[in-house]
Amino acid sequence: MARLFRWFQALAFPAVLIAALEWYTRGPGAGSEALAPPSLALKAFWSAIADGTLWQATAFTLGSAALGLLIGALLGLLLGIVLGLSPRAARMGFLSIEVLRPVPSVALIPLSLLVFGFGLRMEVAVVAFATFWPMLVLAQAAARQVEPRLLEVALALGLSPRERVTKIVIPAMAARLFVALRLGVAIALVVAVTVEIAANPNGMGYAIMIAQQSLDPALMLAWLFWIGVVGFLVNELAERAQAWVARRMGGVR
Amino acid sequence: MSLLRFDDVAIHLGGREILSPTRFEVSRGEFVCIIGPSGCGKTTLLRAAAGFVQPSAGAVLRHGKPITGPSREVAFVFQDYGRALLPWRTVEGNVSLALEAAGVPAAERPARIARVLQTVGLAQHAHKFPVQLSGGMQQRAQIARCLAQEPEVMMMDEPFGALDAMTRESLQDELSRLVQDSGLTVMFVTHDLEEAIYLGDRVIALRANPTPEHPSLAAMIDVPIPRPRDQLSTKEHPEFLRLRRELYQFLGHH
Repeated sequence: MARLFRWFQALAFPAVLIAALEWYTRGPGAGSEALAPPSLALKAFWSAIADGTLWQATAFTLGSAALGLLIGALLGLLLGIVLGLSPRAARMGFLSIEVLRPVPSVALIPLSLLVFGFGLRMEVAVVAFATFWPMLVLAQAAARQVEPRLLEVALALGLSPRERVTKIVIPAMAARLFVALRLGVAIALVVAVTVEIAANPNGMGYAIMIAQQSLDPALMLAWLFWIGVVGFLVNELAERAQAWVARRMGGVR
Repeated sequence: MSLLRFDDVAIHLGGREILSPTRFEVSRGEFVCIIGPSGCGKTTLLRAAAGFVQPSAGAVLRHGKPITGPSREVAFVFQDYGRALLPWRTVEGNVSLALEAAGVPAAERPARIARVLQTVGLAQHAHKFPVQLSGGMQQRAQIARCLAQEPEVMMMDEPFGALDAMTRESLQDELSRLVQDSGLTVMFVTHDLEEAIYLGDRVIALRANPTPEHPSLAAMIDVPIPRPRDQLSTKEHPEFLRLRRELYQFLGHH
């Protein structure tokens, strides 16, 4: 009962907001080109589900975000471990990283478009670039913070260099890496949608652009709502995965 | 022939002479304790013997060959057991690491892990994670891992220094028995005089801030007290009391 009431409290504000919007768009703001009644947006949402465009666009955006994150995170992790464990490599890479890292990832859209053309590859490339840097920086910090005693244990036991990375360094970094990965998930989704709005004629970002350009505020609001839901779910999932790993690996120390 | 030979080993760290040229030998099956005040270089000496640091002059020889780096034949028990165990692996998994490093086939590992855990009295706790164990049990787990690598020598750096008196005494007795049964060679660093005499066949006393007149090696004393030793009767043994007095004076006036 108390739980039900809590839900009611949480939902009351959005419900009032939606009702107010419905009232405004049917009354004083009727015929607006920016806003549409939520009921019409819901109808547009259903038809987007029915004709399959919703799933197709969602799959494209999530797919390219995931693929870009995978590439960016993997490269960032590898280079981060090298830079974290070898002070010499860190000194050599320092300048290039500090120059390249602040480049806004969306500024790479024109270059990526020229190299790869429209489609999946250019979007994946921009997402990978955007997620590479935070992964690199966090992986480097995590590798530097691996308990030095454990590395001595590895030496005393005679672990090979490869085993030292797979059995000591990576597990010791795991909890911190998942914090980085959670950050990466959020960045990947934002960048993927941005690329679609700015250039790539695919996915959810493009769908919301088309709705806006064809002066269809109901469909545009439907997409806005859906992008919000997807973002919420993806971040929630990443957060749970991170909490699970933190529990399993003894948490960030 | 001696197992380990310290051939005028000197160690400088940060421009300071930690250890002035020191020469002694350790025979197979011997239990050698090293004592001295903090900063006398006893841990550094042990680390040099394990190949973690290179001497600035002289050499540590094992079977007549200079030690150039860590070896599976030389196990190292760290004082800070909490940091030396992999927190994401169970006791069993931590012991297994030594076998994985040595390339022991997966099929042979469980039996060998069970055997060393039995030896250190952790058979009941094989599936626990280090955080679930007391300090004494964590140190047992680390010793088990060192035993699993089947070393020739075990280097122990104040292994019981952070434990309470009761746990320390029972671990001393178990270590004594274990070493006697296995014929392992041990170098044991401690700052506890009684612990050194109780455990050792020989006690080496080092002094801090060595000078040419007063080198690092302050005293080297054999402990002719019979084994098995016992916390009560050994510590009341006239020889024990005499050695304690003698070493106390060495450490008191350097």
